[in-house]
Amino acid sequence: MLGKLLKYEIKSTARVFLPIYGLIIALALLNKFFIANNTYVYSNSTNKAMQIAATVSMMTYVAFIVALFVVTLVVLIRRFYRNLLGDEGYLSFTLPVSIHSHIDSKLIVTFMWEALSLIVAGFSIFIMTINGNTMQSFSKFCMGISEVYEKYGPLAHQLTAEAIIFVILSMLACILQIYASIVIGNLSGKHKMLASFGVFIGFGIVQQIILSNVYGGRFGKNIMDGESFAYFMRTELISMIIFSLVFAAVFYFITDWMLRKKLNIE
Amino acid sequence: MDNIMECRNLVKYYPGCLALNSVSLAVPKGQIVGLLGPNGSGKTTLIKLMNGLLTPTSGEILVNGMKPGVETKRIVSYLPERTYLNDWMDVKTMTDFFGDFYKDFRKDKAYEMLQRLGINPKDRLKTMSKGTKEKVQLILVMSREAELYVLDEPIGGVDPATRDYILNTIISNYSENATVIISTHLISDVEKILDGVIFINKGSIVLTSTVDDIRENEGKSVDALFREVFKC
Amino acid sequence: MAWELKSDRPIYAQLVERIELMVVSGLYPPGCKLPSVRDLAAEAAVNPNTMQRAMSQLERSGLIFSQRTSGRFVTEDKEKIEEIKKSYAKEISDEYLRRMYKLGFTSTQIAAFLDRMIEESEQNG
Repeated sequence: MLGKLLKYEIKSTARVFLPIYGLIIALALLNKFFIANNTYVYSNSTNKAMQIAATVSMMTYVAFIVALFVVTLVVLIRRFYRNLLGDEGYLSFTLPVSIHSHIDSKLIVTFMWEALSLIVAGFSIFIMTINGNTMQSFSKFCMGISEVYEKYGPLAHQLTAEAIIFVILSMLACILQIYASIVIGNLSGKHKMLASFGVFIGFGIVQQIILSNVYGGRFGKNIMDGESFAYFMRTELISMIIFSLVFAAVFYFITDWMLRKKLNIE
Repeated sequence: MDNIMECRNLVKYYPGCLALNSVSLAVPKGQIVGLLGPNGSGKTTLIKLMNGLLTPTSGEILVNGMKPGVETKRIVSYLPERTYLNDWMDVKTMTDFFGDFYKDFRKDKAYEMLQRLGINPKDRLKTMSKGTKEKVQLILVMSREAELYVLDEPIGGVDPATRDYILNTIISNYSENATVIISTHLISDVEKILDGVIFINKGSIVLTSTVDDIRENEGKSVDALFREVFKC
Repeated sequence: MAWELKSDRPIYAQLVERIELMVVSGLYPPGCKLPSVRDLAAEAAVNPNTMQRAMSQLERSGLIFSQRTSGRFVTEDKEKIEEIKKSYAKEISDEYLRRMYKLGFTSTQIAAFLDRMIEESEQNG
């Protein structure tokens, strides 16, 4: 059943994201063309019309990149709210699926689009900046990185893995924080969105308080050399991972409990 | 298990409102039953409880002997009063959706009914009039071979021809294994097809009876009795 | 076309009458096979349970009988049908006479009036 929920979740959101991704890539390619022709280097010899076109193209591109991240947030909040707490909730909650599945499917798909958005944005920058010189600098950079990895061996790999896990977990925790805020904010009669926003800030503050109590005063020790710094980072990372996990679990539980017990679709 | 739905001392309390006041009820299988009462009587609350959209404050409600949950949702086909379909989909996708989630969904039946009412599967739900959306919803709900159909105001706001079509669909869908609970205040249109009625008011059951008992004993139609009982 | 049915009397009783009329008028001749309960219910726009109840009553009264796998049939017993026809006729006549008496006609006047009405109706075809 989860698979089917995923299928429709993706179907409903893809029609917003895919066109934007397409436009961003297209604009990046267009900008690449202008860059390659030195259109952005202002001199009296360049064609005025081309310059204007190139400027517009770049501005549009930047606008879309910004829009992408705004849209990602808006679409995903809206989808959760409409599909579960609006009229569509009558359909969603009478399907023979568990509440867990509803949350999981939205969580997974939200994460997927967030990750894809980052990849597409990154790739578009790559398209625009790639040329002979950058290729060289990039491969030098890659060689430098692999030297570091060789030097520190397994530790470096572990650190990388943990960093990735941490990033993923924080993203998930953040999405769940949004979901929990939405379901709690929905309890208020009027200004549900405002209430949800307030709850979200509240959750953020609580997290900050907890984290600063745990970590306050830890950074201020003497700067260490590379290896012990790496070990230090590892323990910090692991504890951060644990915190993210705990926060994520708490928000998941809140969302699940609210949907199960306090559901009242109007 | 002869009863498709049972309530025992069912209470539902919202802050400031006692929606259901210790309701006890049993609906036997294989009948078409009317759930009748004025607005605010607790009808909608009872229906939401049957569908697992609300949880009881106390007491219990059982559908086919089970507490409302994933298993009961498999066998209950619910038509709410409002349109609950995903606006962004077209009719075909919506039909596929029902087919994906409900094993008892008969796609061929749905397409036949859609065709009969002149609805194009490629049409997007967003572009349809309210009336057409309601028809699509009804078709999807009635195309399932469910054990319990819960229809909330299925004929409100449709033209008489469509009304007849809907009532006919309900009758012809009937099987000994299926029960239909219709909640409505358009009683005179619906009472010819009812086996029994439940009158509910202010969170309590006022009367349960077979329709024939009412006609024989009171000598009046259910509609007339309703007006009497619920006189303002 | 849904049958005309009143809501203040049990529907099944009205269905029984309707079907009896269809049999005595020859619409469903003796021995003829009746449509299934579902089909009849759909035609009448009533609950199949109600139609079933009507059929059971008709079976009890002997107007129809059921053969397990083949369905339901009108009785071959022509006398029985005649009986029912006569009882409806009697009902109608009783009512007619009651109302004519109420208007003030005597028995002789009623008989003569009736003869003339029949003549006229035969002329008009």
